[in-house]
Amino acid sequence: MSISELLSQYGEKYLSAMLMTWELTFLAFLLALIIGIAITIFRICPIRPLRMASEFYVQIFRNIPGAALLIILVYALPYLGIVWSYFACVLIAVSLIPSAFCSEYLMAGINTIQLGQIEAARALGMTFFQMIKNVVLPQAIRSSVLPLTNLLVATMLTTSLASQVPLSPTDLTGIVSYINTRSVGGVAAFVISAFLYCMTAVVIGFVGNRIDKKVRILR
Amino acid sequence: MNGKNGSIKDALYEPPGPRTRKYILAGTILSVLVLVMLAAAVIRQFYINGQLAAKYWSFFTKYTTWRFLGQGLVGTITVAIVSGVVAFVLGMLFMLGRISKYKWLCGISRALIEFTRGVPTLLLIYFFFLVVPQLGITLPAFWKIAAPVAISASGVVAEVLRSGVNAVPKGQTEAAQSLGMRWGSVFFKIVFPQALRYVVPALISELVIVLKDTTFAYVVSYADLMQNAKVLISNYDALLSVYLVVAVIYILINYVLHRLSVLLAERSATKGTAANALERTVGTL
Repeated sequence: MSISELLSQYGEKYLSAMLMTWELTFLAFLLALIIGIAITIFRICPIRPLRMASEFYVQIFRNIPGAALLIILVYALPYLGIVWSYFACVLIAVSLIPSAFCSEYLMAGINTIQLGQIEAARALGMTFFQMIKNVVLPQAIRSSVLPLTNLLVATMLTTSLASQVPLSPTDLTGIVSYINTRSVGGVAAFVISAFLYCMTAVVIGFVGNRIDKKVRILR
Repeated sequence: MNGKNGSIKDALYEPPGPRTRKYILAGTILSVLVLVMLAAAVIRQFYINGQLAAKYWSFFTKYTTWRFLGQGLVGTITVAIVSGVVAFVLGMLFMLGRISKYKWLCGISRALIEFTRGVPTLLLIYFFFLVVPQLGITLPAFWKIAAPVAISASGVVAEVLRSGVNAVPKGQTEAAQSLGMRWGSVFFKIVFPQALRYVVPALISELVIVLKDTTFAYVVSYADLMQNAKVLISNYDALLSVYLVVAVIYILINYVLHRLSVLLAERSATKGTAANALERTVGTL
């Protein structure tokens, strides 16, 4: 099939698949940021068990393969009496993994803060949480813009996991197998999805670079 | 994380006074309680659903179970290593194209790098699984998984290598050129060996990503750890326990590789470079 034939026949499906991928990416990234920031605060807080637990969390989720996590969420958790919808399972899987990496990047960002700043904040009598909120996190996030941009792209790529469960509408990867099981989609079906993924990645990269240039702290 | 990490963590709070010590103690006790309760809730959930029953776990004491999982693991590792090597070769080619002085070659390489970094591995797997056979090419299951995994890693490898090459001081190239070396010898004898040393940690991290991507081998029915786990599940009718054990195996392997990468990054004198190279080029999870 040629690209124009495919688009006339499956155009709407591609559109909804694209929106699905975007929706998953956006929600997952948002969740990953929230969890990642919370975990990062735990990782630097003075309470040892919380530090250890959050470190454990990060090591688990940065090292587990996405497919393994999704399979556990979808097929194994029902044996524990926990049944989530396919969408919820995918969303959880594609948020937890990036959240661990998000925390790693923020930790790297925190490491770029000079000791003098912390000392100055303490000399001003700031409490731990004031210091985190006003001194540490703003700088850590600003110097993590580029890694977080990469994380957003990576999150988008991870959402292709959605093709492993019956999701309606399916995502951009799922639609390639959907079309190929119905008709001979050939290379074109693949090219359209790949193009849409790449374009999204390019746009994210472009915007990320612009933001980075604007907020980066030059030392 | 590197050594600096400890110091900034320590700097965040000074030696606590008596009141803060009390707060920290209270927080510690409270958090331990919460964590214990969490663990207890998980175990309880296992218990009330009968998942702690011996029949779900006893076959893990058998030698045959582990031999079978081991065979799957060998399959996984074979695919990971072959994909890793292919990705390195491809990445090397892309990188050479990217830094070449010919504009068209540079453009093509850039497009290829962006493409491999912007497309999910699963989509490439479906390409090799569904589309390539339509073109009349039959690949063995091994290459249906190894090829897409390698291709999707190659772009990141190229960027990692390039950042390594850029990190080699210009003086090295100038010195080599002034000795009358040609471009090929300057690059392969002087610049590249040094660049490689900078990026070894990042390359090991990329191997973790390759290993994770190989879990999709079940899509093409290649006998890797995941696929063998499925066979075990149908043999013993124990889904939860097998998947949990398999996940732990994956996590442990990746953790060891990750630690190795961190260790090498810390040991090499050029921590900053390696860390930066990684940070700038991480593209997949």
